[in-house]
Amino acid sequence: MPRHKLIASESDGKDNEFSIYYVEVEENFEGGKEKQATRDGKRRRVRNSEVGRRASEKRTTEAGNKKAEKKHDKRHKTARKEGEKHGRKQRRKNADAEEAEEESGKEKKNIKNERTKTLKLEDEKEKDVKKKRKKHVKNEEDDAKPEKTKHKDCHDMPLKEKKKKKKIKKPETISESESKSEPESQSDSDSESKDNPAVGVLGSLTPEELEKLKEAVDERKKLIATLRGKPWPMRKKLVVLRESQEFVEKYEGALGKGKGRKLYAYKVMMMKKWMKFQRDFENFKTACIPWEMKIKEIESHFGSSVASYFIFLRWMYGINMILFGLTFGLVMVPEALMGKPYGSLPRKTVPRGEEASAMNFAVLWDFGGYAKYSVLFYGYYNSQRAIGWLKFRMPLSYFLVGVGTVAYSYMVVIRTMARNANEEGGGDDTSFNFSWKTFTSWDYLIGNPETADNKFASITTSFKETIVEEQESRKDDNIHLTRFLRVLANFLVLCCLAGSGYLIYFVVRRSQKFALEGLEKYGWWERNEVNMVMSLLGMFCPMLFDVISTLENYHPRIALQWQLGRIFALFLGNLYTFIIALMDAIQLKRAEEEIVKKNMTIWQANLYNGTMPDNSTAPPFTAHPADVPRGPCWETMVGQEFVRLIISDTMTTYITLLIGDFFRAVLVRFLNNCWCWDLEFGFPSYSEFDVSGNVLGLIFNQGMIWMGAFYAPCLPALNLLRLHVSMYLQCWAVMCCNVPQERVFKASGSNNFYMAMLLVILFLSTLPAIYTIVTIPPSFDCGPFSGKNRMFDVIQETLETDFPAWFGKVFSYASNPGLVLPFLLLLVLAIYYLQSTSKTYKRVNMELKKKLQTQNEENKKKNKLAALKAANELEQQRSNSASDLGVNEESSSLDEAGHHRQAGQNGRFIHPSQSQHTQNSGPPVTSTHTTTRTPASRGHTSSGHLPGHPHQPQKNSHSKRR
Amino acid sequence: MVSPAIALALLPLLITLIIRYRYFFVLLYRAVLIRWVRDCLSGLSREERAFQYILTHATPGDSQSILDTFDQWCSKVEFISNIGPKKGKILDRLLQEHCPITVLELGTHCGYSTVRIARSLPIGARIYSVEMDERNAAVAEKIIRLAGFDEDMVEQIVRPSDEVIPRLREDFGVERLDFVFMDHWKRCYLPDLRLLEDSGLLGEGSIILADNVIFPGAPNFLRHARRCGLYEVRVHRATLEYIRGIRDGMAELTFLGVK
Repeated sequence: MPRHKLIASESDGKDNEFSIYYVEVEENFEGGKEKQATRDGKRRRVRNSEVGRRASEKRTTEAGNKKAEKKHDKRHKTARKEGEKHGRKQRRKNADAEEAEEESGKEKKNIKNERTKTLKLEDEKEKDVKKKRKKHVKNEEDDAKPEKTKHKDCHDMPLKEKKKKKKIKKPETISESESKSEPESQSDSDSESKDNPAVGVLGSLTPEELEKLKEAVDERKKLIATLRGKPWPMRKKLVVLRESQEFVEKYEGALGKGKGRKLYAYKVMMMKKWMKFQRDFENFKTACIPWEMKIKEIESHFGSSVASYFIFLRWMYGINMILFGLTFGLVMVPEALMGKPYGSLPRKTVPRGEEASAMNFAVLWDFGGYAKYSVLFYGYYNSQRAIGWLKFRMPLSYFLVGVGTVAYSYMVVIRTMARNANEEGGGDDTSFNFSWKTFTSWDYLIGNPETADNKFASITTSFKETIVEEQESRKDDNIHLTRFLRVLANFLVLCCLAGSGYLIYFVVRRSQKFALEGLEKYGWWERNEVNMVMSLLGMFCPMLFDVISTLENYHPRIALQWQLGRIFALFLGNLYTFIIALMDAIQLKRAEEEIVKKNMTIWQANLYNGTMPDNSTAPPFTAHPADVPRGPCWETMVGQEFVRLIISDTMTTYITLLIGDFFRAVLVRFLNNCWCWDLEFGFPSYSEFDVSGNVLGLIFNQGMIWMGAFYAPCLPALNLLRLHVSMYLQCWAVMCCNVPQERVFKASGSNNFYMAMLLVILFLSTLPAIYTIVTIPPSFDCGPFSGKNRMFDVIQETLETDFPAWFGKVFSYASNPGLVLPFLLLLVLAIYYLQSTSKTYKRVNMELKKKLQTQNEENKKKNKLAALKAANELEQQRSNSASDLGVNEESSSLDEAGHHRQAGQNGRFIHPSQSQHTQNSGPPVTSTHTTTRTPASRGHTSSGHLPGHPHQPQKNSHSKRR
Repeated sequence: MVSPAIALALLPLLITLIIRYRYFFVLLYRAVLIRWVRDCLSGLSREERAFQYILTHATPGDSQSILDTFDQWCSKVEFISNIGPKKGKILDRLLQEHCPITVLELGTHCGYSTVRIARSLPIGARIYSVEMDERNAAVAEKIIRLAGFDEDMVEQIVRPSDEVIPRLREDFGVERLDFVFMDHWKRCYLPDLRLLEDSGLLGEGSIILADNVIFPGAPNFLRHARRCGLYEVRVHRATLEYIRGIRDGMAELTFLGVK
C-alpha cells in the first residue's frame, strides 16, 4: 500500500484519474477500518431502534459470511423496488416542490443505504476485525455526538455536515427498507442479481433528478481534482476522497441516457483498466532503466547529492557505451575479422627479442608483449586502403571514428548543459534566504531515519550559520587576519600544486631514462612509478587542500567551490605535466625512428646481398616478420601510457575504496567492542561518501579516455568495464560502509557545474590529441596512416580516389578560404544573434517574475483592505441586529458570515465551495451552532446538490423572507 | 625498492594526517611523553607532583583557589584528565538544580571532582568517593582536607567500584543515591551501571552523570542507557578537558524508575 500511496502523491493534480485508481486500492487497506466503524455504529443504532427482529437479522448477517452474498442480491432487488415506489410517489406529488425534495432525500438515502450494504459485504470478507476494534469504539463515540444533534435539526443541517448526516440516517433507512422488503425478497431471490443496482434506482428518476445527480457527480469529480490543494488534514482528505470516489464510481456509469448507459459504464471501466495498465507500464519502464532501483535506494539513504553522483555515473556509462560501440564496431572488429592476421606483417608480430617474455603476466599487465601487437593499439593497424571483401576503408574509418567520438561527446555534453540550463530558469535565489531555507530545505526522498536525523541537524546548523552570517555581514571584525589567512591558504595550495607538478614531471623524465636503458633491469616500482605517483597525488592532495581550507573560514558552499576548483587545477596540472613529458618522449622516439629508418635501408641491402633494394613496401619473403627491424612507433607508446594510467587509476580507486571504506568500516564496527575509545563516533569513525572528489575523478578519467582513445582503441572498452564495475562496487560500498554526509549541498544546482567541468576537460583533452594529429607525422612502419605525411591526408586520398572527380573539385572550391571565411563569419554572427536573443528572453523572464511578485503583493494588500472593510460592515450589521433581537437564527447566520470573513482576513482567497470545507474542518462551528442555518446555503447552486437531499436553502430563503 | 618519488607522493597524506589530528598528537605528547619523562626525573607519581604544586600555590581552605590551581597545573604544566573547568560548570549546574543529599563518586583520582561536587552540595549532604588506587586515594584525601571538607562530608572508599556498589547498603547504610558521578575506567561504566540498577539504590529522579562518553568514549554504556528505557539520556557536548580540539561529552542519565 505505501508504494501505491507514494505514487499517488507523486502524480500531479491534473491526472486525478491516477489518484482515483490508487485511492481505490488504498481503500481496501485502510478504508476497511472506516467502513467497519460505520458498520459498527450502525449496528449499535439498529440495536437501539425498535424492532428486535431486524437487529437479530443484522447480527445474523454479520455472523454468517456465507449468507452474505445472497442477502446482498436481495437487498439490491428490494432497494430497486423501493426506488420505484418512491419514484411513483414522487410523480404523484410533483406539484409540491418541498415535499418532493424530501422524498428524493429518501431516495438518496436508499442509494446510500445500498452503498453501505455493499461496503459491509466487503467488510465482512475481512477477517482481521480484532485489530481494529479499538478504532471502532472511537468512531462510535464520534458518530454518537452528531446523533444527538440530528433530532433537533433535521432540516437545518449545514451542507457540510451532509456526509455525517447521511451516515446517521443510513441505519434507519436500512431497517426501513429491510422491514418493507423482506416478505417480497423471500419470494424472488435471484432474478436480476447482476443488474447494476444504481441503474435500477436511477431508472425511475425524473430527468431533473438525473440532472442533479449529474451535477453532483461533476461536483465530486471537481472535488477529487482539487482535493490535493485543500488545507485539510490528511485523514480528512482521505475520507472525503474515498467517499467522493465511491460516489462517482457508483453513479458515473449510470448517468448515460438510454442505450448509451451501458456503453458509458463500459467505457468508464475500460478507462480504469487502461489507466491501471499505463501505471503498470510506467513501473515496468522504471524497472527497465538500469540501476534505477539501486540509485533510488541510495537516494533514500543518503539524500540527493550522493544519488546525483550515481546518476552522473550512469550517464557517463551511456556515453561510453556509444563511444565503445563506435570504436569496437567500426575499427576493432573489422580489423580483427577482415584485416591481415597476426604474424603476417612486422607490425603485427612480436619482435624476436621480446618473444620469450611476450606471454608473461607482468608484461601483459603492462600491455606489452602480445597485448601491444594486437587490435588494442594503434600500431597494429595496417595502412592498406581497403580491407576484406567489403572493401572496408580501414584508415579512413579509423580517422573518422577518432574524430566522431570527440564530436559526439561535444554534442552530448553541450546538449545536456543546454537542457539543464533550461531547468534553472534564472532569477536571484538569494533574496529570500530564510524562506528558501524554511520551505525548501527538506529532502523528501530520504527514507532512512539516520539520514533524516543528519538532514535535520544540517538544516538547523545551516540556519544557525545563516543567522551568524547575517550578523557577520553587518560587522566585519579582523578582516585583515582573515584576508591574510586566505592568502596564506592559497599560497600553500599553490605550493602544493607546483610541488605535485614538478614531482610528476621528474618521475616521467626518470621513467624515460629507465625506458631508454631498458625496463628489464628495473623492478615493478620503477616501472609503475609514474602511475603510482599520479594516483597517490590525486588521492592525497585533495585531503591536504581540505585541511588547508579550514584556515580560510569560508561558508561551506563557497569552500566547496574552492575545493572543487583546486582539485580541478591539481588534476589538470598533473594531466598536462604528464602530457608535456609525453611530448618529450615522442620527440625522443621520433629521433630514434630516424635512425631506424637509416638502418633499415642498410639491413635490406645486406639482406639482398648487394642487390639494390627496390622501393616496394612488401617485405621480402626470406625474412620472418619477427626479424624485421622496426621503428619505435610513438603512437602505440602514447596509447600504452594512457592505458596504463587508466588501469592504475582504476586499481587505486578500488583499493582505496576497499581499504579506506570497507576495511575501515569493518575495523570500526568490530573493534569497537573492545577498544578503549568510541571508534564509531570518535576518531576514525565511518567514512563519508565524497561526492565532489568522486565526480572529479570520473570527469578526469573521461578526459584521459578522450585523449588516448585515438591511439588506443581499446580505451573506451576498458572504461566501460571500469564504470560498470565501479557502479556495482560503489553502490555496495556506499550502502555498506559509508555514513550520510554531514555537509550537504544542492545536487540540482551543482549538476551543470559538473557538466561545465566536463566540457572544459573535453576541450582540454582534445587539444593535445588534435595537436599531435595535426603536427606530428605518423610513424613510417606502424598504424593505419603509415607512409603518409600527416594523418589527415587520408581524407584527401579518399576524396581523390573514392569519389568522382567533380566532388573533389567541389570540395576544393568549398575549402577555398574565400568561401570558408564568410561562412565562419556567418556562424559567428548567428551565434551572437542567438546569444543576445536568449539574454533578452532571460531578462523578460525576470521582469515577468518581478511583475508577478508585485502583483501578488498588491493582491494581498487589496484582500487585506477588503477584509477590513467587510469586518467593519459586519460590526455595523451586528450593532443593527442587536437592536432587533427577536430572531436568533439571524444572528447565528451572521456569526457564520463573520466566520467567513475572518477566514478571508487571513489573506487567502476563499472560493465559496472551498469555504464550506474549511468550515467543515472546524468542529466548533458545526457542533455548537445546532440551530444555525448553513452559510453554504448561498452557494448551493455552485456546489451542486445531491438529488433528493433535503433542500434547506429554499427553506432558509423562506425563513429569510419571513 | 620503493623509489623516493613515491615516498614524496605520500607526503601530502602525512601532512594531512598531522594537521587533522594535531590535537591528538598534542594529547599524546602531554599525557604520555611528558609524564614519562617527569616520572623518571622526579621519582614521584604525577598525582603527587600535582599535590606539591597545589600545596605551594593554592590557598588552603579555599576550594575555588584549589580548583583554579589544579586547572592551571593541568593546562600549563602537565596533563591529568580531571573534569576540567568547562565540563565542571555543567556539573555545578546539575548539582545546584537537583540538590542531592547522597552522592556517589566513582573514580576520585586526585580529588578535583570531589572538591568540585562537595562545594556545591547543601549542608548535610554526603559524598561517597570510590577510588581503587591507594596512592591516588592518599593524594586525594590530602587535597580534600586541604579544601576544607571533613570525613562527614566526604567518605572515601579505597576499593574497586564493582566490589563497593553491591555492599553500599550494608557497609555504609546508603538507602538511596541521588547523584552518581562516573569518571573512572571507561570500561567499567556499563558493568557499574548494571550493578547500580541491581542494587536498587537508584530512585526515581536519581541522576547519573558519566564523563568522557565520547572521548575516550563508552559506546556500550551509551547504547545500554539509550536502549534499556530506564533512563532519560542527555549528552552534553563539550571538548576534552584542557585540550580544545578534541570533542567530548558528558552523559546525563535521569533514572525514571522501574516500571
